[in-house]
Amino acid sequence: MSRSLAGTAVMMLGLTLAGCGGGGGDASSRPENELHLAVYGDASNKVEQAMVDKFNETSDVKVVLDTIPGADYQTKLQTIIDTDSAPDIFFNWGGGSIANFVKADLLMPLDDFIEEDPQLKDAFLPSVFETAVIDDKSYGIPMRGTQPVMLFNNSEVLEQAGIDAPPATWDELLADVEKLKAAGVTPIALGGADQWPTQMWFQYVFDRVAGEDLFQSALDGDTDVWDSEESREALGKLRELIDAGAFGTNFDSVKFTDGGSPTLLSSGRAGFELMGSWAYATHLDADPEFAENVLGYSEFPAIEGGEGDPDNLAGNTNNFYSVHKDTRYPEEAGEFLKLMYSDEFVQEQIAIGNLPTTTNTEEFLGEASNPEYAKYQFDLVKEAPHFQLSWDQAYPPEATVTIHTAVAQFFSGQIDEDGFIKAMQSL
Amino acid sequence: MTTLATRRQAAPGGSTPSRPARSGASSVGRPGFAWALPATIFFALFALVPLAAVAVLSFTSWSGLGDPEFVGLENWKTLIADPVMAKSLWLSLLFIVLGVVTQTPLSILLGVWAAGNQRNRAVLSAIYFIPLLLSSAAISVLWRALLDPNFGIPGQLSWLFGDGNLLGSQSGAIGVLIFVGMWQFTPFHTLIYQGAAKGIPNVLYQAASIDGAGMVRQFFSITLPQLRNTAITSIILMVVGGLTTFETVLILTNGGPGTDTTITAFYMYQEAFQSFDFGVGSAIALVLVVVATLISLVVVKVSGYDKMNSSLEGL
Repeated sequence: MSRSLAGTAVMMLGLTLAGCGGGGGDASSRPENELHLAVYGDASNKVEQAMVDKFNETSDVKVVLDTIPGADYQTKLQTIIDTDSAPDIFFNWGGGSIANFVKADLLMPLDDFIEEDPQLKDAFLPSVFETAVIDDKSYGIPMRGTQPVMLFNNSEVLEQAGIDAPPATWDELLADVEKLKAAGVTPIALGGADQWPTQMWFQYVFDRVAGEDLFQSALDGDTDVWDSEESREALGKLRELIDAGAFGTNFDSVKFTDGGSPTLLSSGRAGFELMGSWAYATHLDADPEFAENVLGYSEFPAIEGGEGDPDNLAGNTNNFYSVHKDTRYPEEAGEFLKLMYSDEFVQEQIAIGNLPTTTNTEEFLGEASNPEYAKYQFDLVKEAPHFQLSWDQAYPPEATVTIHTAVAQFFSGQIDEDGFIKAMQSL
Repeated sequence: MTTLATRRQAAPGGSTPSRPARSGASSVGRPGFAWALPATIFFALFALVPLAAVAVLSFTSWSGLGDPEFVGLENWKTLIADPVMAKSLWLSLLFIVLGVVTQTPLSILLGVWAAGNQRNRAVLSAIYFIPLLLSSAAISVLWRALLDPNFGIPGQLSWLFGDGNLLGSQSGAIGVLIFVGMWQFTPFHTLIYQGAAKGIPNVLYQAASIDGAGMVRQFFSITLPQLRNTAITSIILMVVGGLTTFETVLILTNGGPGTDTTITAFYMYQEAFQSFDFGVGSAIALVLVVVATLISLVVVKVSGYDKMNSSLEGL
């Protein structure tokens, strides 16, 4: 009995492994007349559903929208992408979030589509479109909206502390920190428990001090750059800001995602918060009065003597749709992607507060819930010489834990400059 | 002849050990192996096969894409040299010890109390039981909100909590996790002790009263010894629960600050499903299996649970 049991176990094991690593099947094993579209499940899904409905009106091959709960999206995607149930078209962040899929030869280069219909490239802002270009081939068409990171402020708190305008330079920021401390508030709200808000500070300070090339070199494999003079200078600037008490003492227990840090700003207990453009929608939801009348926003300050252009941005350039190589209906997939630059798409996105990155977005900005804010953001993105995709999305997903732990430990003082450099060099 | 008969009667099961029964009649009621077959098959399918698959995966490098690539002992070498792995094992042991130390005395006291017949006992017992009905995720989200340093309890009681950076310091974060675990699981262990305490024969207490033993003496000399087997069961459950604590860590601290609350079960998840390194994740899983087995064996050995002596001996 035990021998035959062992035999069964070995056989089952073989089957399990075959099932795990079997790889995607060919097109014929996929459902007929269906194109599966996997997206990150959240409020933006209603626009996606509208686009799907519009497409399905005229197409024999029907697009099916599969929404996957947000926090599990990347995990779920990675689990199914190499199986027969992989989506034909799927949402992603470009950059490192799809690099492994490209390497595993799972994605279809979109250059043929673009050759047939140049609008698939020309209709989008170049700095955004580039994020999904890997090895000179395009793998993603922008969808949804752009999300640059900006320095938000509570204008009433700044006024009470005697600050007339948001800081334009690093020195002004440090001076403002002193003024806000004197006024008895936390100068800068930070959701350190989420870790990614902490990372936003690194992205900007490194970009301002060293320019965009340092991070790009590191990403390309030259990890020595983390130990460069510029890198150490950037870390020194951050240390200076932390040591000045800019973030208070309990930021490691505060989250953005549960409303902790935004409430610090809106309740007047903090002066600034560095956050993605979605902060406006977050505040509008929680406290419309504050979002419309008190919330201020500005670009990340310039750093004197730094090599980076002060107009450079960091954040989520946009989200993208990529196409699976094994899709049964490539032509229809290409047709569907064309909807992403249609006027209707732009209008629907703006109506729910997203800022699409098509070149004609500007014409429709007046329809936004806050046209002034939409215009400000769009100009930032349009004029940015470089738009740095968030570090944790520029790297493949397996680097995320290391990056997040390193930035959190550096801020809380658990590791110093050398510790941070060592962690980033290990990627 | 008489002695032989007596001996035969004393033998367990009523049959002579030296002469196994061959006739059909005497094997009635003694289940054959076939009875265990369904359970064995299920156990093999859902426990042994995955375990074997995990063991094989631990010698491969696999990100979930393509085929696993055989790398020999690479993952194991990585783990042995990995300071986070060593730290996570220490943290897991610390969690287990602190969990047992905080939950056991409280559950015994509450359980023994709830086994009595005081007024409103049933109502209060029902209230104590509520945390057990909530899911770990709900409990974690609840405490996360309550512990916000600026707008939660610490913000209101700043004389007690200082700047409220509970989840941002190692001792604070561990303290919170132990406290939340206690809040969540004490009701369950209370329930076990309540049942056991109700089963203690009343005659023991009556006899002790006649001998002049007071409440405290009765508790230490009768109740506690009678609860020994229950305590072992409860502690084993706590050990297993401590080793597999996961949701509370994920939601309350995410392993932080830094790696200060990255216990082994959470580290396994992080490596496998956040870093997409299923090889290393599988190796950690195997370490967990081994550690859990060892701890269980030690508890069983040290406590004499394997002999299963009745606590009613001599009655």
